[in-house]
Amino acid sequence: MDRRRFIKNIGLTAAGAMAAPYLLPGGRLFAASGLRKVNHVVFLLFAGGVRNLESVQFNDGNLMPNMLIGGSAISNDILPAMDFLPPGPLSQPLQNYGTLFRQFRYKEGPTGHYNGHTVAVTGQYVSTDLNIREAPRNPTIFEYYRKHNSPQQTALNCWWVANTLGPYPALNYSSDPNYGAGYGANFISPNFLISQDGFNALGNPSSFTANEQAAFESIRKFANGNFDQSYTNPSAGITNTTTEAAQLQQFISDLYAKAQSGQFVNPWGVGPSMNNDMFNVMFAEEIIQRFKPELLTVNMQDVDIGHFNFSSYANHLRKADWAAAHLWSVIQSTPGMANDTVMVIAPEHGRNFIPNTSIDSYGRLALDHTSPSDGVSGDQMAREIFCLVVGPPTVVKQGLVVNSLSGESTEIVPTIANLLGFDNNIPASAGIKNYNQCDLAQAFF
Amino acid sequence: MKNSILLVFVFCFLFITSCEKEVDYLYEVNPVAVQSPGSIKSNAKSTVEFLTIAWADLFGTQIPQQELSKLNTIYVAFGDKKMIEDRILLNFLSKSGVQIPTQTNVAGDTLLYINNTYKKLFNRDANAFEKYYLKEQIRLNASMTSEVIWYALMTSDEYRYY
Repeated sequence: MDRRRFIKNIGLTAAGAMAAPYLLPGGRLFAASGLRKVNHVVFLLFAGGVRNLESVQFNDGNLMPNMLIGGSAISNDILPAMDFLPPGPLSQPLQNYGTLFRQFRYKEGPTGHYNGHTVAVTGQYVSTDLNIREAPRNPTIFEYYRKHNSPQQTALNCWWVANTLGPYPALNYSSDPNYGAGYGANFISPNFLISQDGFNALGNPSSFTANEQAAFESIRKFANGNFDQSYTNPSAGITNTTTEAAQLQQFISDLYAKAQSGQFVNPWGVGPSMNNDMFNVMFAEEIIQRFKPELLTVNMQDVDIGHFNFSSYANHLRKADWAAAHLWSVIQSTPGMANDTVMVIAPEHGRNFIPNTSIDSYGRLALDHTSPSDGVSGDQMAREIFCLVVGPPTVVKQGLVVNSLSGESTEIVPTIANLLGFDNNIPASAGIKNYNQCDLAQAFF
Repeated sequence: MKNSILLVFVFCFLFITSCEKEVDYLYEVNPVAVQSPGSIKSNAKSTVEFLTIAWADLFGTQIPQQELSKLNTIYVAFGDKKMIEDRILLNFLSKSGVQIPTQTNVAGDTLLYINNTYKKLFNRDANAFEKYYLKEQIRLNASMTSEVIWYALMTSDEYRYY
């Protein structure tokens, strides 16, 4: 080979290597950027069915003054139904710390709570055949995070905090054979776990000395060695390592100790106004302060009283607003998470325009959430929601309001994945929306 | 002539005896599948089954329906089932009325104690190796109390299956 041809071949090879995309084992064309915008994401599911009319459109005044700017005073006729709430914990409304999408949409599928939650955590719409007795078929954001984030993180970094039981415990991992319990989130429903019944069941465990602990570990190891089956996930749910399980045990013990010492009696100074949603958020704050998780999802659903009592729905909306502000204040006062966290707030779906026949004592008609599944016919107001994204000013555009029809529920999962820097690691076959096509991207620099 | 006859006779004798087919004796045992002692158990207990059986094993009574209902609620309120089961068992062990054989039994007829424990918790006899191992552990380790042994076996994989 002469010198001229040698140099030419080298040049062609180098150019080819640079130009040709290379196929990675996961089926991706390019390697992950791995660039994180922040190291922590909190997803607050402002759920239970919140209608835009009462939230961002201020139809009954500003019921959410800790989150939203504008609106007038609360309508006089329902004002007596509002419980006392002290001034909010933030110096200014959350809206000022980020970007508000006033015309977000839950575009497809049944407008049911579990459907909405499933869409929110999987990033994919579900149809009418969703089985509430099973884990979601599509992987959750928790599984994407634990499988694709580099380096891989344990479940202590990944939490799903639900305000109630029913089907919701099933949302911490899917039945997808490529993901599942091995990549799931730690799930907790603290309003049930940290209760009198919970204390009776778990609050007074026998303790062993170090020698006794070594003794039972050796016997257990011997017994397990003589048995073919292993009780692990998925039968055993999410599995933490022995060390992490010990940390969780201690965390639960500490929560019971706090409960016994009265620290959960009026913890926010709101007195009897403290509702189930507020307690759930308070326990999420305990997790934040203890574990500083990289990904935490927490929900609220008390506004669903709106099926029977509109004024109470409005009242619980105020409390959910107060809780959201408190959550952000705790994040900002937690070393390691302050100025390094993005919080995404969105309802799972809205409520109907046409009320049902239940009238409350203030003469208001109640609201269901039954938009037809086709996504176009009939009363589609239950698909109209908002989304508020708050975070560090270097990451999230501050004070921006997007008034146009922009964004949908399925964009939250890819957005979280992008914020934590692993969206490119998720295989295209997963079927979630590409972050670059998400309207939510407008919120970020 | 006489020698020839003798030679033919010897030759025939050797020919007849030497051609006898040698019998190959093969000594072996029938094929035996090696299985672990609890290998017939392949089904994981449900939550209710686990709680009901654990209560019955420790307290010798049927769990009250209301207690079962409350425990079941707490059980589903946390995602790591192994951890929560462990915690529920530890809480059971601290309650009054637990019927675990006392320390005297452990130190007494140890083999009988081991076998009875296996029958109670695993629904089978302890095999020779299990008896030997546990007996040695009890003999050598003062921390190997009855409560420790029961807790270890009740949190083992086999206890979670039937």
